[in-house]
Amino acid sequence: MPPAGGFESVKYKRNLPTRGPGAYAILGGVTAICAYGFYRLGKGNLERRELQREKMWSRIHLIPLLMAESDRKLYLAQQTMNAAERVIMKDVEGWETGKSVYNNPKYRDGSIVL
Amino acid sequence: MSATPSTSTPANLPHVDEVGLTSGPLKSAAFFIGAYCKEYNEDFVLCKNENRDPAHCLKEGRKVTRCAIDLITKLRENCGKQFDAHWECLERKNQEYYLCRKPERALNACMFDKLGLTKTIPGSPPRQTPIHELENPIYKAVQK
Repeated sequence: MPPAGGFESVKYKRNLPTRGPGAYAILGGVTAICAYGFYRLGKGNLERRELQREKMWSRIHLIPLLMAESDRKLYLAQQTMNAAERVIMKDVEGWETGKSVYNNPKYRDGSIVL
Repeated sequence: MSATPSTSTPANLPHVDEVGLTSGPLKSAAFFIGAYCKEYNEDFVLCKNENRDPAHCLKEGRKVTRCAIDLITKLRENCGKQFDAHWECLERKNQEYYLCRKPERALNACMFDKLGLTKTIPGSPPRQTPIHELENPIYKAVQK
């Protein structure tokens, strides 16, 4: 037989205090942090592009200088090679020293390096 | 028979000294060379655009080199200490400009005071602080 007034109800509900920020607060916080992170990322990407441009222009400014120097060296090498060729080929009738092997006036870099 | 290229200038060409700087000092001075020798450089590049033959642009090339030597001499005379500090920093820091902003600013300020040359990066977005003058950039020596 049940006791008078019936049985005590079964205790199944959790009885814990709510702690910490609510779900929406956490969601909002994460969104805010992510938004700030992406903002910084975007700024950083723009900045990196500018750094790249700076690097490229520092090289562009130096190209004429370096090219002039290497041209002088190359010209000297060509002259020396032509002089040697003239000596070697002096007995060949109708030989043109330093003539391009292509029927095209466009300059090409030599394919043989001495 | 091997033809060894001699290192002296041929008799038919005027002699020109080479700049003789390594990559660090050249990189440090690059924007000033670009500003100071703009006309000679553009002349040389237009000439190279006509013909890639090394013999074609020797005259323009000599002007380019003489101008660069002139600039380096002036730079050394006026801002030698700042110049040395900057290129030594570049050599230490993997030749990255953004890791050497402090000595670079000293050099830029000195160059502007003494020679009136400014560092400008062509093609930068308008109405925006140039990258080398940003006070608090995202990319700096210590990543946070």
